[in-house]
Amino acid sequence: MKHYRPPGKKKEGNAAKYITRSQAVKLLQVSLPLFRKLCILKGIHPREPKKKVKGNHHTYYHLKDIAFIQHDPLLEKFREQRAYEKKIKKAKAKKNQERANRLELRRPDYKLDRLVLERYPKFVDALRDLDDCLTMVHLFAALPVSDRKKVEAERVHNCRRLSHEWQAYISRTHRLRKVFVSVKGIYYQAEIQGQKITWLTPHALQQVLPDDVDYTVMLTFLEFNETLLAFVNCHLYHTINVTYPPILDPRLEAFAEELYALSRWFAATSSTSMVDSEASGLSGSEQVKSEQETSLNESELRLAQLQHQLPSNEPGALMHLVEDLSGEDEEDEDTRECKKLFRTMKFYLSREVPRESLLFVIPAFGGMVSWEGDDAPFGEGDENITHQIVDRPTQAHRILSREYVQPQWIYDCINARIILPTEGYLVGRVPPPHLSPFVDNDAEGYVPEYAETIKRLQAAARNEVLPLPGIGKDDLEDPQNLLAEGVIDRAEAKEAAERKQMMMTLEKQYHDELKKELHGVQYSSSVSNMQSSFGEEMEEGKEEALPDMQQIAEDTENLSKIVMPRKKRGLYEAMQIGKERKRAHVALLEERKKKIKESQKSNGN
Amino acid sequence: MGKQSRSKEEGGNMTKKKTTNTPHKQLPPPESDSDSDSASEYHDEDEEFSEDDGSEDFESLRHSETEDSASSGDEEGIVDEGMPSDHSSDEEEESETSQQQQLDEGVEESDSSDDEVHDRNTVGYVVPLKWYENEKHIGYDIKGRKIKKKEKDDKLQSFLARTDDSKTLRISDEYNDEEVELTKGETKFIRRLLKGKAPHPDFDPYAPSVDFFKWDGAKHPLSNAPEPKRRFIPSNWDKKMVVRIVRAIRKGLYHFEEPKKEPPVRPLWVDESSSTEKSRHLANIPAPKLKLPGHEESYNPSLEYIPTQEEIDAYQSMYEEDRPKYIPKRFPSMRSIPAYENAVKELFERCLDLLMCPRKWNNRIDIKPESLKPKLPSKKDLKPYPMTCYLEYRGHTDAVMSVSVDASGQWIASGSRDGTVRIWEVETGRCLRVWEVDEAVKCVAWNPVRELPVLAVSVEQDILILNTGFGNEEEQERAKELLLVKAPISLDDSGNTASIVSWLHDDKHGGIRLRHFKTVSSIEWHRKGDYLSAVMPAGESRAILIHQVSKKQSQRIPFKLHGLPVSSVFHPTRSIFFISTKKNVRVYDLVKQKLIKKLETGLREVSSIAVHPAGDNVIVGSREGKLCWFDMDLSSQPYRTLKCHPKDITSLAFHRSYPIFASGSDDCTAYVFHGMVYSDLNQNPLIVPLQILRGHRSSNGRGVLDCKFHPRQPWLFTAGADSVIKLYCH
Repeated sequence: MKHYRPPGKKKEGNAAKYITRSQAVKLLQVSLPLFRKLCILKGIHPREPKKKVKGNHHTYYHLKDIAFIQHDPLLEKFREQRAYEKKIKKAKAKKNQERANRLELRRPDYKLDRLVLERYPKFVDALRDLDDCLTMVHLFAALPVSDRKKVEAERVHNCRRLSHEWQAYISRTHRLRKVFVSVKGIYYQAEIQGQKITWLTPHALQQVLPDDVDYTVMLTFLEFNETLLAFVNCHLYHTINVTYPPILDPRLEAFAEELYALSRWFAATSSTSMVDSEASGLSGSEQVKSEQETSLNESELRLAQLQHQLPSNEPGALMHLVEDLSGEDEEDEDTRECKKLFRTMKFYLSREVPRESLLFVIPAFGGMVSWEGDDAPFGEGDENITHQIVDRPTQAHRILSREYVQPQWIYDCINARIILPTEGYLVGRVPPPHLSPFVDNDAEGYVPEYAETIKRLQAAARNEVLPLPGIGKDDLEDPQNLLAEGVIDRAEAKEAAERKQMMMTLEKQYHDELKKELHGVQYSSSVSNMQSSFGEEMEEGKEEALPDMQQIAEDTENLSKIVMPRKKRGLYEAMQIGKERKRAHVALLEERKKKIKESQKSNGN
Repeated sequence: MGKQSRSKEEGGNMTKKKTTNTPHKQLPPPESDSDSDSASEYHDEDEEFSEDDGSEDFESLRHSETEDSASSGDEEGIVDEGMPSDHSSDEEEESETSQQQQLDEGVEESDSSDDEVHDRNTVGYVVPLKWYENEKHIGYDIKGRKIKKKEKDDKLQSFLARTDDSKTLRISDEYNDEEVELTKGETKFIRRLLKGKAPHPDFDPYAPSVDFFKWDGAKHPLSNAPEPKRRFIPSNWDKKMVVRIVRAIRKGLYHFEEPKKEPPVRPLWVDESSSTEKSRHLANIPAPKLKLPGHEESYNPSLEYIPTQEEIDAYQSMYEEDRPKYIPKRFPSMRSIPAYENAVKELFERCLDLLMCPRKWNNRIDIKPESLKPKLPSKKDLKPYPMTCYLEYRGHTDAVMSVSVDASGQWIASGSRDGTVRIWEVETGRCLRVWEVDEAVKCVAWNPVRELPVLAVSVEQDILILNTGFGNEEEQERAKELLLVKAPISLDDSGNTASIVSWLHDDKHGGIRLRHFKTVSSIEWHRKGDYLSAVMPAGESRAILIHQVSKKQSQRIPFKLHGLPVSSVFHPTRSIFFISTKKNVRVYDLVKQKLIKKLETGLREVSSIAVHPAGDNVIVGSREGKLCWFDMDLSSQPYRTLKCHPKDITSLAFHRSYPIFASGSDDCTAYVFHGMVYSDLNQNPLIVPLQILRGHRSSNGRGVLDCKFHPRQPWLFTAGADSVIKLYCH
């Protein structure tokens, strides 16, 4: 039915509220690329109207959204820019290069800080939306500069700087919670103000810029994301009383060790920071140690650092100490736990390990770390090193006092929040599977083998650490016992299963016999039609009674489904399909596991 | 000391100059006769050279010319400066001499004269030599003395002389009266000239021409336009511009651009309290976050997450949408992880999603599927109802099409496709009687009056009304009387020769045979046992007939039929007649002869209908396995539609006293429902599925063909296509 609107009447409902994209572009009097840019910067997205007045194949924007763009000063700014562009073009066409150059310098510029505040009126809102921003900035920090694709060196450097600032904050305040090394890159999850922020950093390798990607769209996103991250970083730095654009040691920067430089900056300004005194003292001692090791020509730099530290020894520092203590209460239990994980350990990174990631991760969990290269805090020969992170097939020269482990060990320890035994991760071995910390195994219905062992180890660790007095001896049993119990349970289960199997076979035998009997009767006797049918019926009745239980259960399920209204039934069936898919996936995994085990057994034999 | 060395150098240079300068003067050798001695020196040298490389090219000549001027300039420079050392000057000398040698050669060749003292004779070429023919002299030398003619050799001598040194070519110079010996080079020259070639072998007549000036896009080789004035007069405009700029600078209007500085990042979100007020704008819908990676995305997943090669190959045959986007891989160590090739692309896709995907709040339902199921009253409270198979009646050899239960509940009759009608005892399962009717039986129906044990059977086009022979004598008597047809009666359609139906006496079975003009699909007795309705789906306007057995009469129903009739039912208490067509059910009042109601089933094809014993509720079964419950007081739409069977519903039945009904279907099952109708009109009927009865086997794609309840007990009889009748009891 076609709706007829009388001439004097205004549009109503969805027709009045939503307009298509082309209508919006027309309304704003901008080009489509500019419209896109405005949408990206203002954070305006199409909406799904309840009724699509213009048809199904249009994108609809809310009229208010478009009006929102229309009244933004940014739109005027872009128009101005366009007019200005024409001026430059004209000057060039008239061969007035001088004017063109001068005009180039005075190009009208715009700032996005107002937009950031408008889109995220509260800081928490910004944090909530930070995932994509961080992923993008981290990826662009790793991209090669390309003129043709408009990826400028300046922006890449800016991205790099921002990402390092972010990581330095996370590492310093021990906010990192989970790390996952995937094929796509390394996922990190941090928790700030109760918001879980997950981002992906690419592996530190050369990225390729594909051709089938519209870089203008991406760069517009990046433009906003850079601004956002800068303000977020600024806010976060101010919360821990560090001045924001951190002034970095140019030498360390030159060595592409901005992260370390940043941590230095933190350490230097820690006198005023809210970070607890112990940590700062720790870093201080670290510095002192490094001071001893490094040669004289580097001491200038260190001296400057120490001078920054000096106020902490002054009487005023005591006040700060108090502050620090009060600050510690604000930290939640998680943070405290994270801070302690690697506290007693000292790591040394070999050349071939992903240094940037580990330099970020290990200090975030309270460890001390050094690497091969100039300006490293301590060298390979340091006797206090407990673990050396190595990722090579063999390690020729070994020092007995330390363990040579693969980098996966660090990540697994972090995800498990305990120090895992290093046997599986030693040099030259194939490490145990690296599991995703983001998966809820129980909900998924399938628990990988290694997840179970980790769980057991965690339980064991908890028991050791927390020998509460109120709890009886049973709970305090050492993990070996627990393990044994588990084994016993399993054995019992196995026995039960076997018994069941036995029963089943017996039953089957009985059935078979019955059948044989039946056939015998049929063959031997030529009784009247009736009787034979009776006999058959009896037999069949018996036969049917046995598989009935299953049938009955199925039937009861079906019966209640019959009475359901159609809508609910559809929903129910959809749920069942989802469940079934999940179950099928789990079954597939289990089958594969079985096959692998069999093949391993056969290989072993 | 420096001075001395310098003087020494100078001296050296001077000496050199002697040797070097001479050839310059000599350049045009024929004119300069002075310095003859030096020249002769050179000549000697020259001869040495000319033997081995007798021919130097013109180019070298030209080269030497240009070099010459340069070198002379050089020399002057050297002299002035006196800088180069002795050694270097020596070297230079050497080079110089070699150049001269080349030069001399060139000179000599160009002139082609053998010695410097050429032309002893001074008479000149103007004077013809024949003037001296008769004189003893041929001319005068430079001092004016007569040059005497040589004695002429006789021919023999000259020949001998020629043969003596045949290697060299000699020619006579008449002018000077001499014999001139030609050098090798000269003979070569002559030979080349004779051949018509350029005399010098290295001369290239077709050398590419090189212009001596540069074109530079000029139309004409050289311009003789006068130098414009502007080239040497300062620009007026420039002056004006400078003046303007100077004035602007003085006034302070002109300031130089400084590179723009980024303003420092100031902390936003300073006072959050101000932003608590709600913005006037629409609420932004945040984009959903990306899915977090699972175990399979790990660089080192458990082995069971990695698909086998066959599985990966199988992905290729899948639809692109179903194909997994990511195939897990395993890397033995972290250093072997390569860069992810789709990183930029995936980020771009995410950007596009953020930009272009319409967003909408979706209420996520977090419910357990079990909670969706309606709470059914417990089955125990709804007992009794048929639950298990108690008896089977075997005897038919083909599908049992229909069963019917005697009003007393003692007997059942069944009609089968094998052409027999059987009567069974319910409690024992004994077959009491068999009628062979030879053709497939469609439908059997007991007369609902207990005192009249009569059975109606539809066989193709006929309906047989048979006397079963049960009951006491009085009843038998009555039945026999009823079934007596004295003469064939036929109902004629007005103007139609072919009779619609004719009443005949059936001799074989001793009953009435009603012969119709089309196949009868279903028959139904009126509750009083006198009327019998028959449906012939192919009968068009005469599809439904009502026969009155007592009067042996038949009549058409006085209503227009809309659509193909399927079956017809009498109302259990009132004179109301239900006719179900394929789509709808129409309810007619037989007394007033008008349509009461039309029930819109909304089904594709109605297959069966049953009326609740109270008469206000009707259930309709369809070929798509759906079952509609109509509450006639409520509306013409179904009160409840139940989708229970996956296949056609073949029959429906209400129990006469218990609140249960059943549906039989081709999927070999029969469902038993609790269908409670309350006397309170405000309360809707309660429908609860109770039991699924299984046991029949499928044959030819058909399962349960008919089901009927026992009149008193909650027992259900089902007729199956597997030629078995089953009794289900509670």
